[in-house]
Amino acid sequence: MSMFLDSQLFDKFGVEYSPNDIIFCEYEPGNEFYFIQNGRVKIVKIINNTEKTLDILEVGDVFGEMAILEEQPRSASAIAMDHVKLLRFRRENFDALLQGNPQLAYKLLIIFSKRIYDAKRRLMILLLEEPQVKVMDVMCMLSEQDPHLDLQEAITLRVTIQEVANWAGMQIADVQKILSHLNQLGKIELFNDRIIVKNIRDFQRIVNSRRKNMFS
Amino acid sequence: MSNGAMGQTSGIVTRRYKHGSIVYFENDKSEYIYILKGGRVILTSLKVDTGEEVKEEIKPGEFFGVKSSLGKYPREETAQTIGETVLLVLTLADFERLVLQNVNVVRKMLRIFSNQLRRIGKSQREVLGESEAINPAEELFKIGEYYYKVGRVQQAQYAYKRYMEYYPDGKYSGASMQRIRAIESGSTGGGDDFMPPGPAAPPSPPVRGDDTVDFTDFSIEDEKPAAAAPSRSPLDDFGVDAASSSPLASEMDDFFSEGKSLDFDGDPFGGEANGKGGKGVAENFYAAMSKFSQEEYQGALALYAGILEVHNLKNDSEAKIFEKAHFEIGRCYLKLGKFTEALTAFSNMIKKFPNSENVKNALFHMGVVYESVKKADKAAAYYNRVIPMEPKDSINKLAAKRLKAIENG
Repeated sequence: MSMFLDSQLFDKFGVEYSPNDIIFCEYEPGNEFYFIQNGRVKIVKIINNTEKTLDILEVGDVFGEMAILEEQPRSASAIAMDHVKLLRFRRENFDALLQGNPQLAYKLLIIFSKRIYDAKRRLMILLLEEPQVKVMDVMCMLSEQDPHLDLQEAITLRVTIQEVANWAGMQIADVQKILSHLNQLGKIELFNDRIIVKNIRDFQRIVNSRRKNMFS
Repeated sequence: MSNGAMGQTSGIVTRRYKHGSIVYFENDKSEYIYILKGGRVILTSLKVDTGEEVKEEIKPGEFFGVKSSLGKYPREETAQTIGETVLLVLTLADFERLVLQNVNVVRKMLRIFSNQLRRIGKSQREVLGESEAINPAEELFKIGEYYYKVGRVQQAQYAYKRYMEYYPDGKYSGASMQRIRAIESGSTGGGDDFMPPGPAAPPSPPVRGDDTVDFTDFSIEDEKPAAAAPSRSPLDDFGVDAASSSPLASEMDDFFSEGKSLDFDGDPFGGEANGKGGKGVAENFYAAMSKFSQEEYQGALALYAGILEVHNLKNDSEAKIFEKAHFEIGRCYLKLGKFTEALTAFSNMIKKFPNSENVKNALFHMGVVYESVKKADKAAAYYNRVIPMEPKDSINKLAAKRLKAIENG
């Protein structure tokens, strides 16, 4: 992207971090967002006393973008993996920044579009009443995220029980019970790092019918 | 097909629709983005949380189908025409070109998107029952604790320092400072859980023989009654329960007085290698607190006074520190036995920041000043004023305790 070649921009907004430096921390008030110019940044969250990596971002990626909207606590931490060069922008000069960097503006539109969809999709899971159906819908959602999956066949979802519990907003023990049950029924095969779903269409049908009946 | 109206959009297809045509159905997958050129378009969708049908009319010149196209996910609504309708149909590439020429359009869209995202986030938190449960200040401290316990002290240090920057009065400020010190001294063993600090002990009143200072200039009426109104703390924005944060004043006294092996020379927060720039307001504030803790009140005073000279405060947290420094100057004078200056400082702070969360503490300290110079009636008046002030915390208790002591002679 052309903006990365602009050294003036770096003079003005550039910041550098050493490996393992925290760029911002989960729950810290967020006021700034970042563009990666060099190096990799790890997005992590502490869940049930374990640090989980949510994403690894590279050159050209944006993070902390929720700060554009309003100051609110960070939902995850950003940690430098290498020697990292970033452009750091404050909410206040966002308008001026957009004016000078329409590419950035376009990129942000895409990021927000994705975020909205993901957030809405998660809300749909949370709104389901029955825990079993929630867990099924998490698997449906994960299957939607990979366009290469053949939903007519058994599919493999790279997900842990912990992650399913996070998505469903449920206790891990409850999720464990439900997944074990589905395992016994032969609907899924449960592994430490993945779940094989035999017939995701089946789950989709169940979830959809429950969802339809929710408001009637 | 022509699109003469928009010169810069050459290549974009214009499409005409009859009344009642479906432009796309919910759940369709398509990369097209539309601009309404003439006629009417209604978008129909179901609200995720209530199942309620929502209709939205697109105004001429407006885009639709943007989000699902950009995010590459199925349409979330059905788009239908009313009357003869003309649409411009854009591919993603067309849209990108158009947007690059008109950033204002993007800005408007981002604002709409951000509102949507915020609403969804709010609904999520409601469903999860998280709206009140999460206290960002406490959680930030816990992040520090997590890294501290797994031995990643550099990251722990960051979280503690941020905690101190944002919540210098917070419940865990003492604990954070202690951790910071432990990390800096290299003694990071242990890792006991910090209990939330209990009610702070009263600061011991400075004992002073001479009672010759003239305090007649000060009366309770000097301070604006606005101070009695519940003050809105900047922390409210983060959902922090102001009542749960005990006052820095007494807490830090306790905290620092425990530390026998203080090795806190100079600025313990200096030399940060995190690219955040040189010594800022926050760093100086910590340095001042450190000096204060070592009873170097003159040095602390100088640092706090320096903060008052700063005119370009960078953010809310700096503004908060700026405000707090006004209060701390009063405490330095109090410790130095310069009671007139202390009263002036507290009084100035209250006048300058009548809605500050520190007002109550300043009033309390004015009581302490009067008590120090044996003006019990005046001290009692200040304590009486502090006692009913919201939010109720350890300062109210301290005021009540001191009032009782005065009344018992």
